[in-house]
Amino acid sequence: MLKRPSSRRKTKHAELTLNLVPILDAMVTLIAFLLFSMSFLVLVHIESPFPTASTKDLEQKLKEKPLQLTVSLHEKDVEIWSPFERIKPKVIPNQADGTLDLKAFHAALIEVKQKFMPETKVVLVPYATATYDILISVMDSMRVLTPTDPPMFQKNEKTGIDEPLKLLFPEVVYGNLLGSS
Amino acid sequence: MPFYRSIRFRRGRHKAQPFELQLTSMMDVLVIILVFLLKSYSTSTNNFTTLPGMKIPISESPDIPPDSLSVIVTPESVTFESERVLDFVQSAASVGSTEAAYSFKPTDLDEGGRRIVPLYDALVKAREKSELLRTKSKARDAEGKPLPFDGILAIQADKRVHYDTIRRIMYTAATAGFRIFRFLALRKDV
Repeated sequence: MLKRPSSRRKTKHAELTLNLVPILDAMVTLIAFLLFSMSFLVLVHIESPFPTASTKDLEQKLKEKPLQLTVSLHEKDVEIWSPFERIKPKVIPNQADGTLDLKAFHAALIEVKQKFMPETKVVLVPYATATYDILISVMDSMRVLTPTDPPMFQKNEKTGIDEPLKLLFPEVVYGNLLGSS
Repeated sequence: MPFYRSIRFRRGRHKAQPFELQLTSMMDVLVIILVFLLKSYSTSTNNFTTLPGMKIPISESPDIPPDSLSVIVTPESVTFESERVLDFVQSAASVGSTEAAYSFKPTDLDEGGRRIVPLYDALVKAREKSELLRTKSKARDAEGKPLPFDGILAIQADKRVHYDTIRRIMYTAATAGFRIFRFLALRKDV
């Protein structure tokens, strides 16, 4: 008697098909939600307080003679100076095409920062027709440290550990809000 | 006997194969889109808007602005909280030029040309409304008083707008009780 042939080869395995339709539905809904709710415009900000001055402050300043780093924007150059003559004034002329030499300006500010490490404030005095674009690029140069800048460290008063500086002069105050220049 | 009832007909009859749509490749595409959207999804809580045609400068600042009252300045107009408060007078030099040439109407200024009257009125109204809401709110400080008015104003300007205009806006805002300014710009993509 012949042996009964194996049924293994003959039996067809039913193909398992995953039902992707509900997953697809969920994904389409999710993509639609994300597209509707996402903002493609990412805005950032630079904060600046309105300057306050009092005679008491002025008297104290005259005694202490702080750095009070001031950046004056002129149509043809940028001047970095201190009203109490704590630094030698530096004038950075504009480039040949008339735009600000932001690299030289940033490098000059780094030199000042290395001498006056705890200083965080800078007074900005732009000219009347300076555009908002110029103001933003100057404020960026004054505030932000780039990866190519020399590393600067400052001692944390609480921990006593030297920590790398993240911002150059983060507090920008406008110096001629009441003036007409 | 009809043919369709015959055994020969039944033998030759083919079963219709069910049509199956291949969804796997479509799933792949959707997964890629979903990952991209989730990666670039901004979780900021502000709802600042811009005006069409406005050219906003780019900044390297890493600070994302929280929601606050905002004023939008273009070479054509000043808009406070989506309400156009004043229009500038356009000069002939602005036609066909990339630089802005505009001026204020003399009636829109006071205090020696430093304060913008329609903006001042709108800002004072907004401050009063904010203070009223704070007095009605249950949120209190340590002494049980209503939380003080924060006085923050976001300034979003076109890149061609002059500092002279921004200075007037800052002065006007300060006289209306807004003493902290946030200059908005587009984030520089790293």
